Amino acid sequence: MKNDLDNIKNEFLKALEDVSDSLGLEDLRVEYLGRKGKLSQLMKQLPSMAEDVRREVGQLGNDVKKTLELAFTEVSSAMNASEDVARQQTDWIDVTQPGVRPPGGHLHLVTQAIDEVSTIFKRLGFVSTRHPEVDWDYYAFESLNMPKTHPARDEWETFFIGDGGTVQEGKKGKVVLTPHTSNGQVREMEKKQLPIRMININKTYRRQSDASHTPMFHQFEGLMIDKGVTITHLKGVFDYFVKEFFGPEREVRLRPFHFRFTEPSMELDITCGVCLGSGENEGMKCKICKEGWVELGGAGMVHPNVLRAGGLDPDVYSGFAFGWGVERTMVMKSDINIDDIRVLYRNDLRFLEQF
Amino acid sequence: MDIEASYKWLKEYLGEDFEPKRFSKEVTAKSFPVDYTKSMKGAFDGIVVGEILSIEKHANADSLNLAKVDIGKDDPIALVFGSKVVMEVGYKIPVAVAPMVLPGGLEIKKSKIRGEVSEGMLCLDQELGLCDKGMSIRFFEEGMKNGTPLDEALDIIDDTIFDVEITSNRVDSMGIVGLAREAGAAMGIPFTFTPPTLPEAGSGKEIKVDVLDTEGCSRYMAVVIDGVKVAPSPAWLQTKLLLSGHRPINNIVDITNYVLHEFGQPMHAFDYEKLKDGKIVVRRAKKGEKIKALDDETYELAAEDLVIADSDKPIAVAGVMGGSDTGTWDGTTTIVFESATFDGLSVRKTARRHHLYSDSQLLFEKGLSSEAPEAALARAIELTLELAGGAVASEIIDERSSAYEPLVFPFRPQKARDLMGVDLSNEKMIDLLERVGFKVDETNGTYSVIVPFWRDHDIEEEVDLTEEIARLYGYHNMPAELPDSPPPTTPEDPALVWEMRTKKLLVGFGYTELYGYSMISAQDIIAYDLDPASAVQIHNPLTADLTHMRPSLMPSLLRSIERNQGERAVGMVFELQRVYVPQKDDLPEERTELVVAHYGADDVENAFLQIKGGLMSLADMAGITFTFERVADDGHWHSTRSAKILVDGRDVGRIGQVASKYTQAFGIDKDVMCAMLDFQTLVHGMEVTRRYEPIPEFPGIDRDIAVIVDAGLAYGDLVVAVEGADELIRSVKLVEVYRGKGIDEGKKSVTLSMHLRSDSKTLESQDADGAMGRVEAILTGQFSGIIR
Repeated sequence: MKNDLDNIKNEFLKALEDVSDSLGLEDLRVEYLGRKGKLSQLMKQLPSMAEDVRREVGQLGNDVKKTLELAFTEVSSAMNASEDVARQQTDWIDVTQPGVRPPGGHLHLVTQAIDEVSTIFKRLGFVSTRHPEVDWDYYAFESLNMPKTHPARDEWETFFIGDGGTVQEGKKGKVVLTPHTSNGQVREMEKKQLPIRMININKTYRRQSDASHTPMFHQFEGLMIDKGVTITHLKGVFDYFVKEFFGPEREVRLRPFHFRFTEPSMELDITCGVCLGSGENEGMKCKICKEGWVELGGAGMVHPNVLRAGGLDPDVYSGFAFGWGVERTMVMKSDINIDDIRVLYRNDLRFLEQF
Repeated sequence: MDIEASYKWLKEYLGEDFEPKRFSKEVTAKSFPVDYTKSMKGAFDGIVVGEILSIEKHANADSLNLAKVDIGKDDPIALVFGSKVVMEVGYKIPVAVAPMVLPGGLEIKKSKIRGEVSEGMLCLDQELGLCDKGMSIRFFEEGMKNGTPLDEALDIIDDTIFDVEITSNRVDSMGIVGLAREAGAAMGIPFTFTPPTLPEAGSGKEIKVDVLDTEGCSRYMAVVIDGVKVAPSPAWLQTKLLLSGHRPINNIVDITNYVLHEFGQPMHAFDYEKLKDGKIVVRRAKKGEKIKALDDETYELAAEDLVIADSDKPIAVAGVMGGSDTGTWDGTTTIVFESATFDGLSVRKTARRHHLYSDSQLLFEKGLSSEAPEAALARAIELTLELAGGAVASEIIDERSSAYEPLVFPFRPQKARDLMGVDLSNEKMIDLLERVGFKVDETNGTYSVIVPFWRDHDIEEEVDLTEEIARLYGYHNMPAELPDSPPPTTPEDPALVWEMRTKKLLVGFGYTELYGYSMISAQDIIAYDLDPASAVQIHNPLTADLTHMRPSLMPSLLRSIERNQGERAVGMVFELQRVYVPQKDDLPEERTELVVAHYGADDVENAFLQIKGGLMSLADMAGITFTFERVADDGHWHSTRSAKILVDGRDVGRIGQVASKYTQAFGIDKDVMCAMLDFQTLVHGMEVTRRYEPIPEFPGIDRDIAVIVDAGLAYGDLVVAVEGADELIRSVKLVEVYRGKGIDEGKKSVTLSMHLRSDSKTLESQDADGAMGRVEAILTGQFSGIIR
C-alpha cells in the first residue's frame, strides 16, 4: 500500500514533467486526483485495513495528495501564464486606430457663458430669474428714474412694438423690446419677496448692428435688496465673481459713472488679461486696455426712486444692481478672437462646432 | 461727451503743480474716465517752421505751385503745394520735412510731383491732426526762427492733452474751469479760480431784448461792443483753441469758443448792424420761417423751435446755431454778445428735428444753470476789449424769468455712512463736499447742503450727496465685503433649470445648439404659412430681414438648415428659445419652444427614431411620459411619417418629417426629420418627485420571439396586444425589424424580447412556455403572423 502510494506519486510527478498543454494537464488531474482517480481508488482500501496501519497509511495518503496537488498547481499556473502570453500575441487589437467618439453636439457659446455666470452667482445665493424681453416702457424706463422727456432715454436705441404706423400702447405705456435687463428690477421688487438676490440673464435689444454690436444681445443683471446693503457689499460680490470667472489673479476697480437708476453709480473694471494690469505689452502701450484696465459693466446702489417704484421705503431698504453684456464678458474671458461678433447668431455650423 | 483739456490751461486754475499721470489716475478714480493723455512734446517731430522764399507756378499743373522754403538749413528745400490756402513770399508756416510721418499716418517722402521735386509738405491744422473740420493754417510771426520745431514754435512742448469722458449728468465739467475744480478735489490741490466780473455799462448803441418765451429761455444777457476790429486771434489763443479741438476763425468767434471751452457756457456774437431795429426777440418760430445757419444750410423752422429774432426775422436757432447773415465777419465793427440759458428739452427736440448739432446744443440739452451766463459774458467782454479793441456801447442786458434760488437738501451723515458701509467722520464728509463747491450748514446737529449753481441740474436728492462723498473718498479705498445676511429662500425657476438640463442632454445626444435672432423676416413667416399679421411686429426695425418677433422656431430652423446644407450635408441641431405670441391688450406671451432636427440623413427612419429616442430619454429624466399618435392631417408634416406628441392626453408637439412643401419653400434639398415641442407645457407637467419600486424578489425569464407580419402593421398596435397577452409579461422590447432577403415583399420580420416575471414565485420553464403560447396565439391569430 505504501509502495503503491509512492508509485502513484512518482508516476504523477513524472507525467507532469512530460505534459505539454493544459488539456493534457487536465486529463492528468482527472486520472490521478479526480473523484474516481488513482489516488481515490487506492484510498478506498483504507477501511479494510487494521486500525494502526490505517492511521499511518491514511496520513501518508494525505501527504501524497497534498504533494501532488501542490505540484499540479505549480505546473498549472506556469502553463496558464505561458499560454496566456501566447494567446495575447494572436488576440492583439490595433490601439493606434482612431477612437470612436460618442456622438457629441455643441452648446452655443452664449449658453455656456450663461451657465457659468449663473452658477457662480448661485453660490452667493443669487437666484436665476427671467423677466420679459418684450416689456412695458414703464419697466424698461419710467420706473427706473427715467421720466419720458429725460435725455438719457435717447441713449438707448430702442425697438418699439407696433405696425409701423402706431406704436402699441397699453396699461403701462408703450411696448418695447427691452434694451437692458434692468427692466427686471422693479418687476422683482413687485413680487414682494424680500430679501432679493436676483440674477436675470436675458436677451436685450438695441438698434445697432456692426462688427461689435448685434441688434439682439444678452445682459445679466444682478440685484440685491435687503436692509443694510452697502457699496462695500457690491464691491465684495463683484470681486468674488471676477476672481471666480476670470481667475484669482485679476483685480477689480470701481470708478464713478452715471446711470439714472443707480446712485451712486459706477463702472466696473478688471485688470487686463493681456498685459496683466501693467498697461504695457513688450515695451509698447497695451492695445487691449486703458492703462491696464478693461471695462466690464455698470453698477451702483439702487436709486431711491427705483426702490419707491418697487414699493420699498429707501429709508429701510437699500440695494445694489449691476449689469453687463454676456457676449462681451465671454469674449473677454476666453480670448476668443471674434473679429465680427455677428457670427455668434449666424448659426453657421462651421462656427458652432468649434466650441 | 468728451472734452479735450490742456494740462497747461488746467494748471492756470490750480494752486499746485502736478504730474499729468497723477491727473489721469485720480480723475479716473474719483471723477471721470480719462480716455487718453497725449504729451505734446515731440508730437510734431519732423515738422518745423519754414519761410517761403519764392513761389512759382508749376509748369505742368495749373493748381500746383513750386516754392523754395527756408527751414533753417544751409540750403532751402523745394516744395510743391496746392491752392487751398493763399501763400505769399515771407510767410512762415509749418513744414513737414521728408522723410517723416504725419500724426494722421500720412507718410511724407521726397518725391517728384509731375516732374518737380518736392522735399516736404506745407501743413494745414487739419493735416496736423489739430482739428477735424474746415481748413486753417498756422502763420508765425516774423521773429520766429526758421527751422524751429513746431512743438516749440507753438509753445506746447510742455503741454499734455487729456481726453476726458464727461458723464452726461456732469455738463459742469465740460469746461476747463469745472474740470479743474474736479481735478483739484480729486488730487487734493486747491482750486484757485476767481470768476471775472462784468464791466460798467456803456452807451451809444441801443439794444432791446424781449424774451417772449420764458419757459424756453430762463435768462438772456446781452451787450453791445462797438469799434471792434475783426482779425485773426493772437497765437496763444489760436493754440489754446486748437489744442481744444476748435478751429480758429476770427478773434470774435474765437472768443466765444474760448469761453465755451473755459466755462462750458455757449455764447454767440451777432453783427449789430444786421439786426433790424437793434432788437432781439426770444420766441418760438412762426410757421414757414426759414433761416440760413452758419453751416450754410437753410432750415425751415417748426412752430416748436425756439429762435432768436430781430424785429423781423429769425437770426439764430436758439442754443443750436447762429444765422449766417448776422454772423461776425471781416467787416463787422459792432457786435452783440449773447450769453443765455435755453431749456434743454427744447434745444434737444429742435436739434433732432433738423439734424442740426453743435457744441452749444450738446451742452444746452444736458441742462445748464441760469447762473452761468454772467461769468462767461464778463470773460468775453474782457477778452474782446483786449484783443479786438472797441468799447462797451450799451447797458448790460439781463432778462431773467425769476430770481435764482439755490437748491438745498437735508443731509443725514449716518444715512450716508450706512449706504457706503464705510465709517467716515462728519468732518471728513463735509470736507469732501466743500471741495467741489457745496456749502454745508449745521444747526443743532441737523445738516443742510446748498448746491452750487453749476450742479443745479444734476443734484436731485439727498442720496446724490452720498455719491459725491463716496466717489471723492474713492471706491478703491473701500473694502470688498461679502454680504453676511441670510440669502433668500426663493426656489429656482424650474423652467430655467430644465432648459439648461435639456440643452446639455441634447448636446450629449449629438445635437448642436442653434441660437438665432428673435427677429425674423415677414417672408420667412409667410414661407412657413404663418401669418405675419398675427406675429409681434417691430415698429421701427433696423433691417428688412428682422421685422417680426418669431412666432415659431420652425422658420429660423429651416433657414439655418438651408444656409448650412452646402457645407454640412448632414446635420443634427436643436434650438430651445422663446417665441412670441401676441395677446390682446397685453404684452405678448413669451413661450419656450424646442425644435430638434436631423437633416440630410441617409436613413430617415433611423433619424426619426433617434430623435424620438432622445425625447423619450428627456421624458424619463423629467418624470413624464410621451405618447405618440400618428398624424396624417397636419399640412406642415409628411402625412405618413409624422406623429403628435402627447403628455397626459395634451397635444404638446409634433415629430416627423417636414412636409416637402416647406423644405422647398426654404430651398432645402434634403429631408428634414424634426421634432417641435411646446417646452413650457412640458415644464408644467414635469414630475419632480420620484417613487421607489422594490427590487423584485423572484428572478424573471427573458424570451425572444420573431414573427413575420404585414409590413404595414404598426409596431405600436402589435406591442399593445402582446403586452396584454399574459400577466407574467412585464416588458416587451423591440430587438429588430427586418425587411429584405428571406422575407417576402410586403412583409417584415419583427423580433421581440419579453421579460416574464411573477411576484409570488420563481418561474419555471413551463410557466414561460404557457405565456409565450398566448403571445404566439395573438400574433398568428390577430395579426396573421408567421412565427419564425
